Amino acid sequence: MFSSGKVVKLFYDVASPYSWLAFEVLFRYRNVWNIDIELKPAYIRGVLHGSGNRSPVLIPNKLLYMASDLKLLSEYFGVPMFQPPNIYEKDSLNAMRFVTAVAEKDKKGDVLMKRVSRELWKRMWYTHQDIMQPASLTEVGLKAGLLASEVEQILTLAESQPIKDKLKSVTQEALENKCFGLPFIVCHVNGKAEVFFGSDRFELMAYFIGEKWMGPYPAKPTTTM
Amino acid sequence: MFSSGKVVKLFYDVASPYSWLAFEVLFRYRNVWNIDIELKPAYIRGVLHGSGNRSPVLIPNKLLYMASDLKLLSEYFGVPMFQPPNIYEKDSLNAMRFVTAVAEKDKKGDVLMKRVSRELWKRMWYTHQDIMQPASLTEVGLKAGLLASEVEQILTLAESQPIKDKLKSVTQEALENKGRSGWGLTPPNPQPQCDHYFSILCIFQQVLNKILVVQIHMVLVQQHTHTHTHTHTHTHTLKQIRRICQRDRNSKGSY
Repeated sequence: MFSSGKVVKLFYDVASPYSWLAFEVLFRYRNVWNIDIELKPAYIRGVLHGSGNRSPVLIPNKLLYMASDLKLLSEYFGVPMFQPPNIYEKDSLNAMRFVTAVAEKDKKGDVLMKRVSRELWKRMWYTHQDIMQPASLTEVGLKAGLLASEVEQILTLAESQPIKDKLKSVTQEALENKCFGLPFIVCHVNGKAEVFFGSDRFELMAYFIGEKWMGPYPAKPTTTM
Repeated sequence: MFSSGKVVKLFYDVASPYSWLAFEVLFRYRNVWNIDIELKPAYIRGVLHGSGNRSPVLIPNKLLYMASDLKLLSEYFGVPMFQPPNIYEKDSLNAMRFVTAVAEKDKKGDVLMKRVSRELWKRMWYTHQDIMQPASLTEVGLKAGLLASEVEQILTLAESQPIKDKLKSVTQEALENKGRSGWGLTPPNPQPQCDHYFSILCIFQQVLNKILVVQIHMVLVQQHTHTHTHTHTHTHTLKQIRRICQRDRNSKGSY
């Protein structure tokens, strides 16, 4: 496939709502900026631990800020992110191993990986359902269009050493790019590389790759000029 | 003066380069968005301490990220922010007290406070000069258009209790603005002051014989082997928790 030469690697975890926002915005801009998006499912706790950082949910004011920040971002960007009530109990290890296994099995590029990731984000950040139990992951797989037999295979694969190692190595790759949190974006353009943390650097990223930021919905014309 | 009804309060510290960026952008947009800007000089270390947060410069990857982030932002926004070499040695307490004192004396609204703040940012983030010594603050004051006698007055005022208290109270005001809606809610589960890779949910259940008994739900993730997660319920005294945190911090080394 012909590459545009502009490669955007998105390191993400479904436990990170800002990762969802970055994911949605990047795909909205994929054909506008003509970028190749490489999805890199990683593990947020591995990133935090490896960088000596702490989860923002452990700082009370950050947790409170995040609740109101997500609400406003949801309205503005049209991505329904709402803080779940039992956020401390959530862990995404099983979910991200599942995504990694799906990626391994995905014969259609990243279509399945996209659908599965999106379903997981919706569960955790919109409908506030579980993402840890095999039954939950089965539902996610079926919703993403997999057959029951395929889902079973993937669930088994997700527990295999190669998949565990794969997730670990992607997390390590993020850390080698000086990552300390997710979402973490590595942009390659014209032989230059730049890193962007979070989902509030798109305007700056556009500047770096020589494109224009057009707000949350690039396809639609803006009403304010 | 006729108010637009749109009030933007900017809590800032000259030790924070992103504060400079926010400052410049807001003033560029003042007449475009028709906003009233209220400058709120605060103390970053007070904010970090009061919220249980840590400075980003203490996380190596964050420090590295900041260097390249600032470089790109400088180009894009035209605000010259470049990481100084000795960032750990910088403290902005004297500088922010100086700004607070200037605000007190500023008879022309916020004109002097703006100029002084900008000069301080330039010193720390562009020319990489000192902002802690009285001689440095004197230079800043003069550059901002103050007379030598006025600068001396302000330096003295900056060391007075009312100004120290004023800076503290603005910092406290920032801490009280936890969330956008301003509920002033306290989180249901208070967190221990602990740098820890365990996810800790502490519930203070009862006071027994003057010892706080804490029930901790520990979600243990073995990072090295990526084994399955399991939850334990332990009862620890605060002393034991502190010991666990210290032991963990020591075993991970400093960062």
